[in-house]
This record gives sequence, structure tokens and C-alpha cells, in this order.
Amino acid sequence: MEYIKKDLGAYNLHIIKTDKFKTITLKAYFRSPIVKEEITLRNILCNILLQSSKNYESKRALTIKAQDLYAADIGATNSRLGNYIVTSFYATSLNDKYTEKGNFTNVVEFISDVIFNPDVKENKFNEDKLDIVKDNCINSINSLKEDSSSYSLIRMAEAFDKDSPLSYRMLGYKEDLDKIDSKNLYDYYLKMINNDLVDIFVIGDVDTPTIVSTIKKYFKLRTMKKKKVPYMLENKKPRSRRLFAKETIDYSQSKLAICNTISELSTFERNYALTLYNIILGGSSDSKLFKNVREENSLCYTIKSVPNKLDNILIISAGIDKNNFKKTVDLIETNMQLMKKGKFSDNDLIIAREYYLTALDDILESPSAIIDNYLMMELLGTDTIEEKRTKITEVTKKDIVKVAKKIKMDTVFCLEGVKDENA
Amino acid sequence: MKTLKLKGLDMSCFTETLENGLEIIFVPYENKKNYFISFATRFGSETTSFIPSNKQKEIKVPDGIAHFLEHKMFEQENGEDPFTFFSKTGTGSNASTSFDYTQYICYGTKNFEENLRYLLNFVKKPYYTDKNVEKEKGIIAEELKMYDDIPEFQLEMKLRENIFHVSPRRIDIGGSIKEINKITKEDLYLCYENFYSPNNMFVLVVGNFPKESALEIIKDELENEKNKGQPIIKTKKENIKIRKKSETIKSTVKVPKIGFGLKIPLQNLDYDLVMLDMYLTMITTLCYGSSSEFRERTRNNKLLNSLYTEWEMLDDFRVFYIMASTNYPEKLLEEIKNELKDLVISEEAFTRMKKVWIANEVKMIDDIDATVNNIFDDLIKYKKVIPNKIELIKKMNIEKLNELIKKIDFENYSIVTMYGKDE
Repeated sequence: MEYIKKDLGAYNLHIIKTDKFKTITLKAYFRSPIVKEEITLRNILCNILLQSSKNYESKRALTIKAQDLYAADIGATNSRLGNYIVTSFYATSLNDKYTEKGNFTNVVEFISDVIFNPDVKENKFNEDKLDIVKDNCINSINSLKEDSSSYSLIRMAEAFDKDSPLSYRMLGYKEDLDKIDSKNLYDYYLKMINNDLVDIFVIGDVDTPTIVSTIKKYFKLRTMKKKKVPYMLENKKPRSRRLFAKETIDYSQSKLAICNTISELSTFERNYALTLYNIILGGSSDSKLFKNVREENSLCYTIKSVPNKLDNILIISAGIDKNNFKKTVDLIETNMQLMKKGKFSDNDLIIAREYYLTALDDILESPSAIIDNYLMMELLGTDTIEEKRTKITEVTKKDIVKVAKKIKMDTVFCLEGVKDENA
Repeated sequence: MKTLKLKGLDMSCFTETLENGLEIIFVPYENKKNYFISFATRFGSETTSFIPSNKQKEIKVPDGIAHFLEHKMFEQENGEDPFTFFSKTGTGSNASTSFDYTQYICYGTKNFEENLRYLLNFVKKPYYTDKNVEKEKGIIAEELKMYDDIPEFQLEMKLRENIFHVSPRRIDIGGSIKEINKITKEDLYLCYENFYSPNNMFVLVVGNFPKESALEIIKDELENEKNKGQPIIKTKKENIKIRKKSETIKSTVKVPKIGFGLKIPLQNLDYDLVMLDMYLTMITTLCYGSSSEFRERTRNNKLLNSLYTEWEMLDDFRVFYIMASTNYPEKLLEEIKNELKDLVISEEAFTRMKKVWIANEVKMIDDIDATVNNIFDDLIKYKKVIPNKIELIKKMNIEKLNELIKKIDFENYSIVTMYGKDE
């Protein structure tokens, strides 16, 4: 695998040359500091761009074109990365070797048409398309509670700190949706195209000069590479007394969601010791929480912990019976205490390390995961996979205990399922 | 071993059947690092009534027993947790139960030989006690409650109840809390003895692994295993018609949902099953797929929020499902039904879709997980690997497709509509 980074002025082009895959994947990342009121706009924008373009008048026409390019897969997603919102446009298709000469160039032209040649007249997006996209958005917002697990995590984050980006709803907000029209959406589009920070990645068995000239031709951007806002959220001071919050829902199962604050980690601790801490505590089916809460006490089917490194929090979630709420929280607390006291074995540490090393191996099997890894290196200065392999072995038990002591249970949210009571 | 060339994909599949009936299937890769092993039995949730081997009387075991057994397989007499064993080398492990199979899997990049041996071994050695059976009931109850809270799941269950008269597929794979509470260790041993026999099982290995030693290990572990008998499963004759045409139910949704299920008996369709399934899938892909006119029309009329389709394979039937979320259930259902009336297939779309399918076969082989699913499905559906899918796709012709369309009763469908409780 060979990595080449080209400075193309307005953006960086990253080419990852490898003959490991039969496909070529392109990802173009547009990012800017997240603004709560703009999340809905951004979602609508992403969706409307995939409804039609000047050359393809409908979603069906777009789909047929993609199929004609030997089932090319194109799309866009929005996600939050610390203080930023990131829109990723992607296109994946088979290498020309398996299709025909020039197919990938046509795919690049196609995705660039979707991004840069929107269905706009007189500085306004197509009204009919906007109507469809808004309708879909409102339906998704209305259906939010149907996935009780994600809903509990959103409500937990809002209880934790409603003003922090970590509690912003990535689905968007009804009140912001109402304000969107074809004109202000186009203004926002121009703002994104002209002001966002951009990085483009291409991975596959490609010829570098061809890719450089193709991307130059189809991605003509004039943005500036500047960064004012840090990616990482500020450390939030842990509250002095733990916050308990709850809400009821007409379901059988209750969802427990716990937010733990993490304070003052060094880069090494954040990237390595915290990772191992989490795997041991609740990051795998061999973890303390899985064994002690699920297997030994039969309190749940799902339980896990996830660190949000850029947000300085660690989330623990479980699906439980509401009568077991206190028992479950106490057990989780006990297990966190055990971590602080160093009550885990060397074997636990070895297992966690292996788990992490396998996850690194897995990255190398997925074009998209390889790109993400390079993106994080570019944006956050994280280590290469090889460096990660070495550094993870340097983590000692002491390091993990040190991290454990910096983690504090802060907000405990329970989405109480009360269906059986109503029946 | 027998070599099967996967035509058009530069890959081969190797198979062997041991004297006791155990099937072995290998798909080795050279350019990948990871491997995937599945040890599976053709015993799933739909088998709950049978005459045990060497017995005369038919018995009924509690619903959900195959899934319960799968959970309890992870209990070992020596107290070792298989998850822990695999974790030591960063290997993932899991299990899953469907209507017609149960499989135990492990996947990773290291320690292949020992892991393979361990996987075969732990599935070979059941260990059930009154205490460990009791303990599992709480965990599974939470799992069932989790599914029960998902509106799509409720919709699908209701639809199955209305499509089938007597088929065990009317019952959830996990059973019900009432039924699983009846399960005893004797029930589990009885099912294990009858259905975890070599002639009812197979081992599938995909990825980077040494073929020769893999075969040696499997033979070493399983060649001398005896078939524990031959249980007799008397299937009740399922009526060719659906049971109930339509039903409306209430749930916790804000946006209504619809379920549509078309039941196709195989008795009058004298086709090769693999080709038949391709043609059937072609019909529904052209009618309802992402590039269909149906999609475009329903999207533009805001009848569609989200939609997914699925084919289900039974021994004597095929069932096609559409699940959708919509604000206008009646109008959308009209559109769905209309699509099947006087069905005309466009030659252009048919040819384009063949090209897409061929491209997808090539993409799929690039991804170990996709290949595993693909081959596993073949083994369950057709009891063998289909090595020439690309050839078969090329062979499809529109006359045959039109012929098939004439033989299908497109009125044999059932509909379930789900509204919110407050409407």
C-alpha cells in the first residue's frame, strides 16, 4: 500500500494505491464548525443533491446512471466529529479492469455532477424536490422514538449538557426545518462549497497521474485551507452530584444510558490507555460488564461501553427491566470501581490488546476504513496503523488505572418502558 | 477435496463430505489477512414437533428452543467461556439462530488452527444444568422484549401470522417468554441429540487459512462422530392460499407502516430452484427496486418515507415481503398492488439489471463477509454451493421471465397496516 498526498491548493488529494481491492473508492469530505441551527439545513442539502442534478432530472435518472456505470454506488452522509460537522460524498465502483476503460473517470464525473451541478434555477433549488426531502425529514424526526435505544442516548446527552455539540440531534429539528426554503438552501449550499475545508481520498489499484488530473478536472474548488476551531470539545467539569433523569415510553424494555466524564487525558492516554480501559470494561463480549451484568446476574441482553474520544465522555448503555434499574447501575458502578483499583488481570490486558490489534487488521480489509484512518491522521494527527500497533503494546496496567481514575459517572438516564403497566 | 471453480471470479471453492455426512466447504483467499469459520446445523426455530430418533411418538418442545440452545452452547463444563478463549487472540465469536439453521462462528486473523479446533469442540460438548438453564431465561426475556419493542418486528410477525395457516414460521424465532420459561435441560439435550448430528451439519471456512491443515483438524475432530439417529419431522401441509387478506393493528408509531406479503407456492412451478429465485428476484427488483418507476412515482407523490423488500425461502413456498413507512398507507398499498397487475417487463431495464447483478457478484467476492453470507445462503437454500451465478445471470432471458409471470397468482397477498395508538 502506497500513500501519496497532493496539495491541490484549495484542498488536499490523498491517493492510497493498493491492489488489494477490485473496487476504487472516492470520498470527498466537506467540513465546517458545527452550528446547531444548520444541522437540518445540511441534512436537507445532502438529500436534495442526491435527488437530481441539472443533467439528471430525477432520482430515478440518477439511479439508472449509477447502474449503467456497472453498479457504481454513490451517496452522501453527515456526521459530527467533535466540534465539526462533516459531509462525506462517496462513490465506489469496480476497477476498470473488471468493467471498461474510462469507467472510473465517468464515475468521478458523475459524482462531481451531483455535487457541483445541482438542480437549481434562478438561485433556487427545485421546489418539488425540496418538498419531498422535507417530507422525508419530518417523518424521520417524527419516528425518532421508534428506535428507543438511539432515542435514550440522545435524551441522555441532552440531560448531560444541552448546549454542547455532543447533544445536538443529527437528524435535525422541526423548527429549523420550517425555516428552510429553496433560496436559503441554495445560499447555504454556496456557503458549503465555498467555505468548507475539503479533503479528497481515492483508494484502489489506480494510476496516480491519471487520478490527479481527473480529480483536478472534476473537483474545481476555491476554498481555503484554514482552521480556527479545534476538533476536540472542551473538557466539561464533572458535576458535584450525579444527575439522574428519566422519561417513560410505551415499550416493554427500559433503556439505561450513562454518561461518564473523562478529564485531562494525555494524547497517549486518550488514544491507547482509554481504548484498552474501554475494551476491558464494556467494549467486548468478554468485558467485565458483559460478564458481570449480563452473564452472572441475567440483568440484560445488551450492555456496552463506548468512548467518545473527541467529546471527552464514555457512554455506557444497556437494555434492562425497569425494576432492575438500581441494581444494574450499582453493578456498573462496582465494575468501574474495580477498574480504578486495578482489579483486572494481566490476561484481561492481553485480551484487550489483541482485540485492538485485530481491529487494526480489520481496517486493512476495508477501503472505507482505510480512508477513515488516513482522514483521522490528517485532521487529528493520530498515528499510522503501524505506530498504533507499537504504541498499544506500551500501555501498562498502571496507565489504565490512571485513566480509570479520570473517569467519573455523571449523568444516569433511564428511558422507562411502561408498556406492561398500561396493559 | 472436490474443486468448484467460481466462474468469472478467479476463485475456487473446495468441498468434501465425510462418511458420517458432515459437509466441509472451503473458500480460500490469498490477498486477505482474515478468516471466517462457521459451524452450522440445519436446525432452526421452525422445528419444534418431531419424532425423536428411536422413538415412535411425536413430541412438541417449547417454541424458541433452537435459539435457547444456541445461547446455552456457550456454557462449558470446565467453566471456560468460549468468548474468552477466542478473545485471547483477538478473535471474534458469535452465534445466530434462524428459522432453518443455527450457526456458531469465529473470525479473526490469528491462531486459525487452534480456533477452528476450539469452535468444533465447544459445539460438540453441550453442558446443561438446571441452574444454567434457569439463569439464561432472564437474558433471553430481555432479548425478546428488545425485539418486541421494534414496530417493524411487530408488523412482520403479524404479517407472518396472516400469510401462514400452520407453518411454524408464524412463530417468532425466539419464541415467547411464556414458552421459554417452560424449557428444561432435558428438552435441550433431546434437541441437541437429534439435530446436532454430523449428517445435519456443515463447516464453512472462508478467507486466508491453510487448507490442508484445516481439513485435517475437521476430520480429526468430527470424522469419528456418530450420527445420533434420525429424527422424523412431519411437516403439516401448508395451505397454498394466504390465511388472512388484511388487518389493521395499532402500535407506538408516529408515521404509519405497511407490510405486504405475497405467497407463492412452488408446486406448479417446474423450474430449477436457483433460476426460479433469480427470475422471481428480477421481477420484484424491476417492480419495486431503486430504479423502478414505482419508486419514482411514490416518492414524487410523497407516499413513501422508507421501504425495504425481502424474499423468504421455505421448502414449498417463496414469500415476497414489502415493508414501508408512509403517511398514506392506503394509497401506497394501491400503488403496490397495481404494480403487479398486467405486469410488463421492460427489456432495457431487464438488461441493465443483469449488468448490475454481474457487477455485484464481482464486488461481493472482494468482501469476505459478503462471500460468507452468499455461500451460507446457498448451503441453506439449495443445500449446495452455486459456483456459476454469473453464467446463470447471463443466461436469463425475458421470454422465460414473461412465461413465469403468467404462472404466478399475484393476488395471493396479505396486508397489514400499522397505525399509531393516538390516531
